[in-house]
Amino acid sequence: MNLYQRHILPYARKYRKTLWSTIILGTLTILSAAMLTFVSGYLISRTSERPENILLVYIPVVAVRTFGISRAALRYMERLLGHNAVLKIIADMRVQLYHVLEPQALFIRSRFQTGDLLGTLADDIEHLQDVYIRTLFPTVIGLFLFSFSVIVLAVYDWKFAIIMGLCLAVVAFVYPMTSLYLMKKNQRESKKLHSRLYNTMTEGIFGLRDWMISGRKEQFLFGFLEESHESHEMDKKLAYWQQSRTAQLQIFSGLLVLLVGLWAGQQAAAGSLMPTYIAAFTLVTLPILEGMIPISHAIERLPAYDASLERIDRIHEQNPINEQLANDVSDLANTTLTLTNASYRYDGRAEDAVHNVTLTIRAGEKVAVLGKSGAGKSTLIQLLLGTIKPTEGKVTVNEQTAAKYGDDIFEVMSVLNQKPYLFATTVENNLKLGDSNATVEEVQQVAEQVGLYDMIQSLPAGIKTQMEETGQRFSGGERQRIALGRILLKNTPVVILDEPTVGLDPVTELSLVNTLHQSLLDKTVVWITHHLMGMEKMDRIIFMDDGKIVMDGTHEELLASNERYRQLYALDEGMS
Amino acid sequence: MDKNLLQYKGSKQAMALIGLLTAVQSIAIIFQAIYLARAITQLFQGADGSIALRSFVIFVVANSIRHLIQWVKERISYNFADQTAKEFEQLLLRKIFDLGPQALGKYGSGNLVTLGLEGIPKFRKYLELLLPRSMSMAIVPVVILVYVFTQDKMSAITLFLVLPILIIFLILIGMMSQKKIDAQMDTYRLLSRHFVDSLRGIVTLKYLGRSRAHEQSIAVVSDKYRIATNRSLRFAFLSSFSLDFFASLSVAVVAVELGLRLINGQMLLEPSLAILILAPEYFLPVRELGNDFHATADGKDASEQIHKILDEPEIQKPQIVNPIKSWDKQSKLELRDLQVQMEEQTIFEGLNLTLQGHTKIGIIGHSGAGKSTLIDVLSGFTVPSGGQCILDGEPLPHLAIEEWQDQIAYIPQHPSIFPDTVLNNVRFYEPDASLAEVEEAAKRVGLDQLVAAFPNGYDEPIGAGGRVLSGGEEQRIAVARSLLQRRQILLFDEPTAHLDIETEHDMKQMLLPLLDDKLVVFATHRIHWMREMDTIVVLENGKVVETGSHEQLLRTDGAYCRLLEARGKGHAV
Repeated sequence: MNLYQRHILPYARKYRKTLWSTIILGTLTILSAAMLTFVSGYLISRTSERPENILLVYIPVVAVRTFGISRAALRYMERLLGHNAVLKIIADMRVQLYHVLEPQALFIRSRFQTGDLLGTLADDIEHLQDVYIRTLFPTVIGLFLFSFSVIVLAVYDWKFAIIMGLCLAVVAFVYPMTSLYLMKKNQRESKKLHSRLYNTMTEGIFGLRDWMISGRKEQFLFGFLEESHESHEMDKKLAYWQQSRTAQLQIFSGLLVLLVGLWAGQQAAAGSLMPTYIAAFTLVTLPILEGMIPISHAIERLPAYDASLERIDRIHEQNPINEQLANDVSDLANTTLTLTNASYRYDGRAEDAVHNVTLTIRAGEKVAVLGKSGAGKSTLIQLLLGTIKPTEGKVTVNEQTAAKYGDDIFEVMSVLNQKPYLFATTVENNLKLGDSNATVEEVQQVAEQVGLYDMIQSLPAGIKTQMEETGQRFSGGERQRIALGRILLKNTPVVILDEPTVGLDPVTELSLVNTLHQSLLDKTVVWITHHLMGMEKMDRIIFMDDGKIVMDGTHEELLASNERYRQLYALDEGMS
Repeated sequence: MDKNLLQYKGSKQAMALIGLLTAVQSIAIIFQAIYLARAITQLFQGADGSIALRSFVIFVVANSIRHLIQWVKERISYNFADQTAKEFEQLLLRKIFDLGPQALGKYGSGNLVTLGLEGIPKFRKYLELLLPRSMSMAIVPVVILVYVFTQDKMSAITLFLVLPILIIFLILIGMMSQKKIDAQMDTYRLLSRHFVDSLRGIVTLKYLGRSRAHEQSIAVVSDKYRIATNRSLRFAFLSSFSLDFFASLSVAVVAVELGLRLINGQMLLEPSLAILILAPEYFLPVRELGNDFHATADGKDASEQIHKILDEPEIQKPQIVNPIKSWDKQSKLELRDLQVQMEEQTIFEGLNLTLQGHTKIGIIGHSGAGKSTLIDVLSGFTVPSGGQCILDGEPLPHLAIEEWQDQIAYIPQHPSIFPDTVLNNVRFYEPDASLAEVEEAAKRVGLDQLVAAFPNGYDEPIGAGGRVLSGGEEQRIAVARSLLQRRQILLFDEPTAHLDIETEHDMKQMLLPLLDDKLVVFATHRIHWMREMDTIVVLENGKVVETGSHEQLLRTDGAYCRLLEARGKGHAV
């Protein structure tokens, strides 16, 4: 329930007017269907008394026609209004999720080890539409109908209203709550089985080659069938329950029609109800019940929202507070990066990820950082960016503490990482993310600088061509070039290259490395790399191992003095 | 109706049964209307409550029968749908496994997972709805119309005329709204993707210092999306509007007409009430069909996709005259005039290559030259469209043969690490291997220290949901797997391309001693491996352009030398 308080109620409150309007329209829709039946029943009964003048039934005739039209119109309006309200809520939820996510963006991977968490979160918000459309609206509308019918009956006969109230409560409360109670476990179980099946299937399809080569294909298929069978059986249980519940409620509705009919007849006999109303009251029972039967299904759905709400809630749990920004980023001409005896240890680890590192990177210097994965290269970058604070020692950028820059650090440093994201917009817009005020000439010039000019010319709409989904139109090298163009437009004094050439073939890698060297000539460059290609052009090479700097020097120095470096270099060159 | 429907097992029985039940049900519906009308009329005419009660009871019974039949119908169609869906789920998965990685390439792994897990339930829903809905549509209105006709011709004619008008309207509106929706589909898709895009690109935005300002853009785009959606919903909801409109308006028309004829004394109360009760029932099947429109359309799409994959031609198992021998020093495999087509693309157009005995063969070339495809042909994952694979004199159309695959160990760039323990991952190919054997293999690939550091040792869970391994560690697991098997043929596909140079160096030291006395095919663009190979095959645009040892190729000053130069340039400048 807390989850609903945090992630559903605030929005419901904010948009209560539209939500209420939707609910009222929804109630009116069912009421006008009911009134169509009610008035027709009355009309036919009344006309069978053969009134002298047709004008005596003029009002019911008009009413019948009105209700005939109004139901469709009201329903149409209800649906439009409801979807509009929900879309507004979705928009708000998106902004809110993004707002919470943004400060922790760089740590999401370390907090959640899952694959496509972000895609899942986007789906979750989409999925939560159903809370309103499939649960909130039908439930509240059903409850409105319940109160409305009991109140109207009470006007005629309060005793019967109580009896009917109890009977209707079976439909409006007893069945929904029982459904929820009985099916909660099954719903959860069904969800669990589905996600297990999902994992098995993913494992099977992504590991298809291994299953085939290992000759264990049959074994996998057998295991999958077993799980699929369980999942199907659970779904069947849920479906059976829904079918049986609907049948029971419909049969019960028949009994209620009998009850209302007999009551109306007795009231008419007693003279407190005109006989012409017998048909009206009897017939109106079914359409009213039709509006209340969906409550069960709406309530039963509640457990289905849990997973999405829980995931969104987990993101909200941690909301790191940003440091006060007090640093001056106007004078960046001579940016110096300094680490003084800096160490960093991740929570719960026994050893430092970066240990007692002292390092000064002067403006314009080109520094390569080498080392195995896990040697502390990425932690070093995080320290420089100030996104983490050293557990010991000091990290400064232009003699000011790096962590104090907050997001302003990105005015000082740009990062080109392994998988820069390309957005689903035009090539031009992707480039202009670096500087939204860039002129057409500037963008063109940058495109040329990163060696994309010819490629862009060959596109159907030139620079205005849409990137395909996550930029699949472009090869790995081209993607890096677009991202590099962005960084050049951004024009920060320091550029950090975080293994941008991983996964590229040697020829592409070589040409990208050359472009990098040429275009970043006047910048301070910190280049994390796992290959030794292009090391000769760096001013300085730093080798990290176990969080410590174990080698430091120029390419020539290291080649002359260090056996290990020599070996690796030869290996990379292909001459070992 | 779906043309495939009749081919599903049990569909004819289910259809016949549901049809029969629907016929009985429509009679129950008529009885229900007659006796409810009678009860009301009796009460109206002031008859004793007990007389009306008798009619009411018959009404309740008829109503109960009607809904019980509905229940039975739903159960039958659910079971039929579930059976069929389950069967197709199995067929689909088996088919994917039969087609192998080729299917993955053609349809996309992600798509296949989605089809299997979301497509199958949609397909089931579709089948579940299809039978009862179409039977109701075919039977109920007709029976009701016939009864109404016997009671009052005018009402019957009204009802009869409205239905076709309604259907024509539905089609017209459907076409019009589809056009409107299609017209703005592109903008629509872009807008709807924007949020996922923003979330996935949040790190990049952060690095560009744009992430905070982007919040505004999410709000703006979401609002645009809302407006665009509203615009298309206005059309999309029109079809259900017209359904509602015609259905309830014609009920109103029937009611008013009945009223007028009652005044004139041309009708009696009881049949009029019965017709009034029946009028909404007449439209009910169409309205249900309309309400389920989306579920049906989605399910139909899924069904088509499933059938498309199932209709892919099977890979024919070749006729083998002599049983395939296990690979030894004397064995020989010749690829002759090999052709490979992927989708529209020609990858190999007449490739010739001979593999013999225990040699180490390096495959090198630019990306796109066909290195991976060659490995896939050798492992039987890709079926060539032409040419022959001559294995010890036996000509074969392809190598997707179990006896051949049983001899192969395959080590790709990203080996699959299954969500299981280290132990089971290492003995993935040999599930019966003992712990001692696994330990021995792990030691040879240098995994022993790592595993010793795990709290649960060999029982430590790895892969999704377990401990995350580095690229080098994953490769060690993959190599340990193939060691455990003692297979004679080792195929490597870029095993070190993504590793850092130090890890690659360590891997090389570990791997080299394991390659002796086997047939090794090693595809990579990392040139240093080539020195360790007996024969180097240089591929260019799907053709073998050079073969020979490292020294031989250096002397010829051809494609191999050009590759070396490209590499060297990076250092030389």
